[in-house]
Amino acid sequence: MWGEATALLDRSRKGGWVDLLVVIGLAGLLFGLIDVGREWAGEHRPSIDIDLSPWALPRYTFFSLSRGLLAYLISLSFTLLYGYWAAKDRVAERVLIPLLDILQSIPVLGFMPGLIVAMVELFPHSNVGLELAAVIMIFTGQAWNMTFSFYHSLRAVPLDLREAATVYRFGWWQRFKWVELPYSTMGLVWNSMMSMAGGWFFLMINEAFRLGDRDFRLPGLGSYMSVAVEQGRVDAMLYAIVAMTLMIVLVDQLLWRPVVVWAQKFRVEEGGHQEAMSSWFLNWLRRSVLLRRLRWLFRRTKRGNEETPAPSRREPAPIPVARGTAWVSGLSLGLLLAVLTWGAWKLLELLQDVSLAEWGQVVAAGFWTLGRVLLATAIGTLWALPAGLAIGLSPRLSRVLQPVVQVVASFPAPMLFPLVIAGLRLAGVSLEWGSILLMLLGTQWYILFNVIAGAMAVPADLREVARSYKITGWQRFRVLYFPAVFPYLVTGWVTAAGGAWNASIVAEFVTFKGETYRAEGLGAQISAAAAGANFPLLAASILTMSTLVVLFNRTVWRRCYRLAEERYSLTK
Amino acid sequence: MNETSASPATAEATGGLCEAQKVSHDFTRPNGKPLRVLEDVSLSVGSEEIVALLGPSGCGKSTVLRILAGLVRPTDGRVLYHGQPLNGLNPGVAIVFQSFALFPWMTVSENVQAVLTAAGLSRAEVHERAERAIQRVGLAGFEEAYPRELSGGMKQRVGIARALAVDPEILFMDEPFSNVDALTAESLRAEVVDIWSSKERNPSAILMVSHDIKEVVYMADRIVILSARPGRVRTVVANGLPRPRDYRSPEFLRLVEHLHELITGHELPDVPTAPTRPEPRLPEPLPEATTSEIVGLLEYLDARGGRADIFHIASDTHCEFGRMLAIVEAAEMLGFVDTPKRQVVLEPEAKRFLKATAEERKVIWRERLLTLPLFRIVHDVLHRQPGNIVGRDFVLETLVMHLPQENYEKVFTTFIRWARFGNLFAYDETTEMLSLQ
Repeated sequence: MWGEATALLDRSRKGGWVDLLVVIGLAGLLFGLIDVGREWAGEHRPSIDIDLSPWALPRYTFFSLSRGLLAYLISLSFTLLYGYWAAKDRVAERVLIPLLDILQSIPVLGFMPGLIVAMVELFPHSNVGLELAAVIMIFTGQAWNMTFSFYHSLRAVPLDLREAATVYRFGWWQRFKWVELPYSTMGLVWNSMMSMAGGWFFLMINEAFRLGDRDFRLPGLGSYMSVAVEQGRVDAMLYAIVAMTLMIVLVDQLLWRPVVVWAQKFRVEEGGHQEAMSSWFLNWLRRSVLLRRLRWLFRRTKRGNEETPAPSRREPAPIPVARGTAWVSGLSLGLLLAVLTWGAWKLLELLQDVSLAEWGQVVAAGFWTLGRVLLATAIGTLWALPAGLAIGLSPRLSRVLQPVVQVVASFPAPMLFPLVIAGLRLAGVSLEWGSILLMLLGTQWYILFNVIAGAMAVPADLREVARSYKITGWQRFRVLYFPAVFPYLVTGWVTAAGGAWNASIVAEFVTFKGETYRAEGLGAQISAAAAGANFPLLAASILTMSTLVVLFNRTVWRRCYRLAEERYSLTK
Repeated sequence: MNETSASPATAEATGGLCEAQKVSHDFTRPNGKPLRVLEDVSLSVGSEEIVALLGPSGCGKSTVLRILAGLVRPTDGRVLYHGQPLNGLNPGVAIVFQSFALFPWMTVSENVQAVLTAAGLSRAEVHERAERAIQRVGLAGFEEAYPRELSGGMKQRVGIARALAVDPEILFMDEPFSNVDALTAESLRAEVVDIWSSKERNPSAILMVSHDIKEVVYMADRIVILSARPGRVRTVVANGLPRPRDYRSPEFLRLVEHLHELITGHELPDVPTAPTRPEPRLPEPLPEATTSEIVGLLEYLDARGGRADIFHIASDTHCEFGRMLAIVEAAEMLGFVDTPKRQVVLEPEAKRFLKATAEERKVIWRERLLTLPLFRIVHDVLHRQPGNIVGRDFVLETLVMHLPQENYEKVFTTFIRWARFGNLFAYDETTEMLSLQ
């Protein structure tokens, strides 16, 4: 033990500055958290007060970041609980998974106005309500895909690993921490990154939210941008965009990159020469003596705690998982079903007030929006497919551009909406068409991103075949590139279209410098109904949009997926 | 049970440590109907013996192992451990898996320690026993390595160390060396026998599953031979050869020979009326052999004077014996070879086939296919159907009706492969429709 201590001292001479930075970082974090706490507990303001000086930006950025991270933590907890429950309880699974599928298809933005008003009324004297509403909104944008990934991983744990865990009598907790969680980690990490990026989209809308003449804006990057646009301060707008970009890059470098490198340990597929991944930040932290010593202390206390209860038990355990939890699970399921039934009942009650004419109007609006969504996806494909192929097929380009695309894809489009709308007005384009551009702004990157990934995965031997048989130009695209990237393209389409539906709510109904513009469409319908507190119409619109999304998923996208799997899979 | 003793020394089971009594087992097929995989299997493992389950692929060897371990509950019959009916996991068993089943995110020592922690041992004991087990299999120095850094043989050593660590009374091994290269497998076999033979320490007994006859003769005291579809105990052969065993000793080779004959005698019975086989009216199961394997077998025989010993072919072509059996069976069904005893002999039809051009080969193949009832039934139906088209479901139903014991999805795959090779039917995978060429 002393040897270890002196070894630590010896190293500290080299890594001293790392420790200093770690201490500064921790102190900054602590200070920031106290500030966030003060902001939450602070008195509720009737209107926002934003300091547009660039020096105030770090604080606002930190506020936005803390909301995103808090929401992520909630999403992660939700994922672990819900995914585990759905994977382990065969009865609950039949309710939970379709429910998750529906939740994923619902345009959650439609609920935002109601949620914010309700939360503020719940906490009338502090900012807690408003902050919670923001966190919940981000959560709804983050949780579902993570939960799906976790559930699928749990169900896909290889049989031999499960049998080994059973034969060697792992308890449920051991099974979870040694087998199931490690097996799910890779998928969870990638989906967490995606979710975090999707979360910024909601956060920006939320922070800049106003309903009629009520100001619900929260101090953060979204409100900074919105105030800057109001006052026509171009410099402040640029600052905000730079700050957002920096935040995305920092989160990627300081949080996800180290996590991805660490998660490499949980790779399941063996062999194969994979590119070794590294993270400068992780390497850097590993040099910190302080952290190492903390870890050592932590381990020692953990060991001390574990030492006490260690009875030697080797009774023949029954095979099925503990039945003691069955009633807990049953009770939860009953509760959930009760809430669902109650919700459905309330919804029906609401919908009684919607006249047939209104229904017709809603459905017609739905087809307008569907058209825009498809157009946005098509335009996105038109440029992103060739661009993605060009980037993905060239190792040099992809090395340089892929991180850039990743950042751009994470950039929340609503932040740019005011700028684009100003440009549209200048050019005299109506929102009927302009909203397509607004949708495109956020969703085209998903297509590009996926096509790049697909192009990078085109097998080298097939490319050599194309070259040696002189298959060029259009023919090469038709016989090789398109089929090879098709599965990725479908994933991109589904994500992009889903995003476009959600974006329609903010893209078809825009408030700019006090004036409201709206396009004919279901998104505008939802926003208008929310603004006018017409809850029956709001419910009808959201229901219609969810139905359209689900129907479209079931018919078109699922067929595309099947085609991709059966015809264009490169792994089979 | 039919006990055939090669040498009578240890024929009787030495007290049932673990015993299966009249065990039958069904799998549920995708269509919900049960598929019988085991029928009335009774066997026992006594203390201080190594028992091997030997049989062709698909005979349910691994299922027997899992039933005895308590991982799978049998549909019928019961399992006894120390004379007590087993309810749940078998407390005295540890398993070494064919696929190793190591946790890739844990180091060698973490893999071993995990099972000891799960057994509720104290931290100090966990460390000590893990270290001892790792040393016992010769992995000292590799404690901090991750499984992906190890070769197949090394991985299986970790699997063995993990099993030994929990001090099992019976060690179960499920084709433990089939994913390990041949040389390493040889040394691992000897090491496992060494570990077992120290009588004062566990494991007292070993139950292993294998399809390698030499491996079984080298290791086992008793060899339980299973037959397939559904799996039954065909016979039990006692192996009293003195240890350490020598792969080249005459006694060893004689026992290997004997087992070979037992298996082929059953799987490829000599049909008395060889030249003009009575046309079977009912569909038979198609052995899982690809057309190129069948043609390959014919070419092989042709290049070696038209006849060879089936075991020789298997070892010469590095083909698993069970697989080779299926190929020979397929060639025999098609009338290309005959199998007197262990010999595989080319028929004149095959010689004609080999001399033919690619086009003529298709014609001969087609003729041969139409001697099989399954192909003829489908062919006739196709002729009668308007448009000469039937769905995949029709064929599947025919299969289920006539061959309830078969995995009909597999048979269907083979059916399509053979038919395509002879240009007999066309099959469109997306519409799942069969049509006449």
